Amino acid sequence: MNGAKATAHLELVDVNPERKFWYPYALIAPTMATLVIVSLIPFLYTVYLSLHEAKYGQVKEFIGVDNFVTVLTDLRFWNAMGVAVVFVLIAVPIEFMLGLSGALILNAGVRYRGLLVPLMFIPTMMAPIVVGLLWKIMFAGSWGLLSYNVFERFGILSGTSIFGSPNLALYGIILVDIWQWTPFMMLAFFAGLQSLPTNPYRAAAIDGANPAQIFFRITLPMLSPLLVVIVLLRLIDAFKIFDSIFILTGGGPGDATEAPSILAYKMVFDYWEIGEASALAVLVWLLFFAFCNVFYQLAKKKLHAF
Amino acid sequence: MRSGDGTRIRGDRAHAITWLAIIYTLAILFPVLWMATLMIKPEAIMFTRPTVWLFEPTSDHFAFLVNEGFLWHLFSSFIVASASTVLVVIIGTPAAYAFARFPIWRSDDLFIFILATRMAPPVCLMIPFYLIYAKVGLIDTYIGLVLAYLTFNLSFYVWVMRSFCRDLPVELEEAALTAGYPRWQILLRIVFPLIRPGMVAAAVLCFIFAWNEFLYAFMLGGDKVKTLPVSIPELITTQGVRWGEMSVVGIVGLLPVLVTVFFLQKHIVRGLTMGAVKG
Repeated sequence: MNGAKATAHLELVDVNPERKFWYPYALIAPTMATLVIVSLIPFLYTVYLSLHEAKYGQVKEFIGVDNFVTVLTDLRFWNAMGVAVVFVLIAVPIEFMLGLSGALILNAGVRYRGLLVPLMFIPTMMAPIVVGLLWKIMFAGSWGLLSYNVFERFGILSGTSIFGSPNLALYGIILVDIWQWTPFMMLAFFAGLQSLPTNPYRAAAIDGANPAQIFFRITLPMLSPLLVVIVLLRLIDAFKIFDSIFILTGGGPGDATEAPSILAYKMVFDYWEIGEASALAVLVWLLFFAFCNVFYQLAKKKLHAF
Repeated sequence: MRSGDGTRIRGDRAHAITWLAIIYTLAILFPVLWMATLMIKPEAIMFTRPTVWLFEPTSDHFAFLVNEGFLWHLFSSFIVASASTVLVVIIGTPAAYAFARFPIWRSDDLFIFILATRMAPPVCLMIPFYLIYAKVGLIDTYIGLVLAYLTFNLSFYVWVMRSFCRDLPVELEEAALTAGYPRWQILLRIVFPLIRPGMVAAAVLCFIFAWNEFLYAFMLGGDKVKTLPVSIPELITTQGVRWGEMSVVGIVGLLPVLVTVFFLQKHIVRGLTMGAVKG
């Protein structure tokens, strides 16, 4: 089967003598043009803004890296970064483990897939802002459904409102994220598991491998390309979190849940510090880009399937 | 009955697992079900302590929304999400195929560029979008919002479809080439039917992203172009939060997506996995 991999992404050998050189470029041209217009140009504009003094929507003079310095020396920036890192490092691994375990369990023989799978997927299908709303209903202060029925009844966390407490708010956001995205991971991995070839498993059964060996030496390696793609996707999206924090805590209390996206939003719409907000955006993007590159290179080395 | 790894499973194991799955699903969906009840619960007893579980339903919330032009929000959302998805499929499919099949100058760099556009935090792009749109008058237009959605949807679609195209066996196309078929026919008759599941999966995901998107719609929309998610903050009024109405928006927003996924799930699963796991 490795032969199939070798030919699968080789370019077509063109037996047609009038090889049209421009053909592939014509195919990618609309996409590249579109992305240049809607992504590159706005991004360059952001870079431009970050290098100028721009407040209240008026661009004034060129000030080089001043905005960057301002942002990098602003404690609020580092707080936002901290919030994002804590959030991502707790939420994504939990989602991953729950998702993978769930997928393995489902794969071991669940029935009524056609009905259960879409239902399980509902949290992911809901708009993040609605999900935020939903959890506000559950946990708000003393009148939230769970706040009252579960917390007060069992005497835990009595008197505190999860999203109103500086210590707990971020964990509340993490919980919401886990609720929404674990199904995504679970179902992506489940689909992956379902499409794995059965031969290796039969061979393993003949050789008498135990479940742990089967999982770590057969399942995991075969699944790893998918795992990497999904985790990377989730890492990027989690770092960009905005909607649920916006509706649940607005970044508060204080700046306990002020993720970079929320901070940037406030810098633009509350303080009108366009230049600095742009610098923040560029910094976050650079960070992302560097991180994704590292991640991708690591994955490429460790998992030959890439 | 066989499980995913080909081993035979006894009925009782499947039974137990299925029950586990059902219980998990109900537990996970509990908040959603609760929200659904809020759609028809009178305001006064919504958050009383102790919780009221049985009550006389009311249609007040629906009436309020219809009066406020909620159907228009639904319509706007539908237009924006559909247009965005259609555009993405038309523009992105040829590109994904080309990246997968042809040697392109600096194709890795170009591809990373495509990924990178998706990496920017939405606020990052939102600033220039807002400023530029304000100048050229694209705020509160359908075209404006659809264009803005291309940023993340197009890169996502090309990303997914390229993986998918890569894993298609190349022999069919080579055979057709050797037989002398023109390229466009190969695309249409051979490639297109093969990549259809992938296209469906990716397109459905793009539709969902656009349908649920909040920030761009909030910033770049206005009185005419109001998608469903945008109506949520609007329901936080000076007279208090309209929970019942928000619940309606939330559930109604979920239904089209749920129904689509329900009917297309086989295609989606096929589409997503063929591109990711090599076997």
